[in-house]
Amino acid sequence: MTGPKILTVDWDKPESWSLSTYKASGGYTALPKALKMQPQAIVDEVVKSNLRGRGGAGFPTGMKWNFVRKETSFPKYLVVNADEGEPGTFKDREILLKSPHMFVEGLIIGCFAIDCHLTYVYCRGEFRDSAMKRLQQAIDEATKAGFIGKNILGSKFDLEVHAVFGAGAYICGEETALLESLEGRKGYPRLKPPFPANAGGGLFKQPTAVNNVETLANLPPIVNLGGDEFSKIGLVPKNGGTRLFAVSGHVKKPGVFEAPMGISFKALLDEYCGGMRDGSTLKAIIPGGSSSAIMTAAEADWASDFDTLKAKKTMAGSGAVVYLDQSVNMAHALANVMRFYAHESCGQCTPCREGSLWMKKITDRMLLGGGVVQDPDTLKTVADNIAGRTICAFGEACAWPTQSFVEKFKDEFNQRSQKPVPPAMPPEYTPGELIDHEKITTAPLPRNPGWEETARAGTI
Amino acid sequence: MIPLGTKAGPVASPFSPEQQKRFDEGFEEAVAKYPPERRRAALLPALHLAQDALGWLPEAAMAYVGHLLDIPPVRVREVATFYTMYRLHPVGRQHIGVCNSVSCWAMGSEKIIEHCASRLGIRPGETTRDGQFSLEEVACLASCGTAPAALVNNFTYVESVTPQSLDQLIEKLRKEPGQPMATERKP
Repeated sequence: MTGPKILTVDWDKPESWSLSTYKASGGYTALPKALKMQPQAIVDEVVKSNLRGRGGAGFPTGMKWNFVRKETSFPKYLVVNADEGEPGTFKDREILLKSPHMFVEGLIIGCFAIDCHLTYVYCRGEFRDSAMKRLQQAIDEATKAGFIGKNILGSKFDLEVHAVFGAGAYICGEETALLESLEGRKGYPRLKPPFPANAGGGLFKQPTAVNNVETLANLPPIVNLGGDEFSKIGLVPKNGGTRLFAVSGHVKKPGVFEAPMGISFKALLDEYCGGMRDGSTLKAIIPGGSSSAIMTAAEADWASDFDTLKAKKTMAGSGAVVYLDQSVNMAHALANVMRFYAHESCGQCTPCREGSLWMKKITDRMLLGGGVVQDPDTLKTVADNIAGRTICAFGEACAWPTQSFVEKFKDEFNQRSQKPVPPAMPPEYTPGELIDHEKITTAPLPRNPGWEETARAGTI
Repeated sequence: MIPLGTKAGPVASPFSPEQQKRFDEGFEEAVAKYPPERRRAALLPALHLAQDALGWLPEAAMAYVGHLLDIPPVRVREVATFYTMYRLHPVGRQHIGVCNSVSCWAMGSEKIIEHCASRLGIRPGETTRDGQFSLEEVACLASCGTAPAALVNNFTYVESVTPQSLDQLIEKLRKEPGQPMATERKP
């Protein structure tokens, strides 16, 4: 293992989740410091640190907080997104299980910075008995120690922290869907603007910052090190700090690894995960959760920061890296990914609801040996027509893998789509013809059911 | 015609006295998390509590929760049908969910599902005749580093599943009571 350890310092220690362990390694030293600063000064440090949201979009956290600070409507809320559902991602669960106090300290600092007195941590429902239990323990411990509650450490700052949980919906990881779910409704993403950070768009229509668990866990180090120092840890400009990479797939040692922002995928594989498992050669990399466009083995030297990958038309996403080996058939893999999206589309926008299912049907047909020559092109067309035509980013999330899989592994898709195009369907009536119904000859019923006679007689 | 704004009458509780006590405690706690004028936000935890008591969400439980929170039945149903963790039908006392998303799939979750299905004699989505087991394919559980992963009764993680460990798990679960009243319908 190489590189600086900021978030994972305690992870190997016994009972790493307890308050005493966290305090022994310098925990809760940032909080008193932060409470003595001006809230705006904390946000300025976060801006300087170049901390980018770790949930997927990589939006600069300081900028988001500045939006919330500018609003004059009170109360303001901070909502934590712990609804980790992107296939491949498991870093937030590890944080909550192994060092929940680091996250809680960051949460308190974050609330102080945006002047929020009531905060919710929205965990995914499946975490209730594992990760969320441990988080609740940490919150209770911190409350007992006086870090949460009224007049925290004599600063006249009050804070109430609640952990709540969802009920199993991938879409609730989208920030506005999460807010809807938190308000007790089904998780339909909201139309933006107003954005959650603005009045009218957030939780209970109040200005709200929605942040990822890992993002907030970075707050104590930023306060302790200072924004500039933190920013330098990243290997590329505008991407501060380290990142937790959740590595899975055919590697020797899968797991969550802390590496500087901007490490290349090859270095991540060789230095942290011990390379591919025996007998495996790298074939493809999913760089940021299944929503990101896939990379081939030849592209493994790309840096893993937000800007580089955006320029290469994929994304750093949630930091979930899946290394796939030669045993994987890409058409089969896409069918699996599409099954997920078809299942999880919330159904609000037609292009995504129908398109994701359509793409699943085509990839399933390919697997069963019925793929027709046009199928790869149809897949691309469908994907092109979803991206950018939906309320939330789910549309892109199901379009990008399709577009990239088909483009980068053309041969495998062509191989599975060799059936000739079926003959055209018999002509159907146009809407115009249906309105002008005289042109449509009604087919006689095969047997007279006797309705007309019954009606005429007036009895049954 | 029912005029607009008519309140529904009181709804009978679907719980036994003991279940009612536990539900009430949890309900108080859940509602207390939200500002008083926003108590409707507690719908999701309230449905979870009802499901914990009954094993699934019968129409009566939805109506009761809606009545407590003053939410129209259609909105409650909307939520109950949207989220996958709510059971709209009775399931087995031990409900096994195996992840089929990309990381688990790459590590052989298809074989695990097949093995589990043949072991229990049911297909995903079905319940065994004695009501002890039901099987489901679930979406990513955020446990990809220890793939393939499975989930028992919605909340208990089982990681790095192999056919052997799955057999042991099934044997263990066979002896345990599991979810309460999961398959017994109230008349």
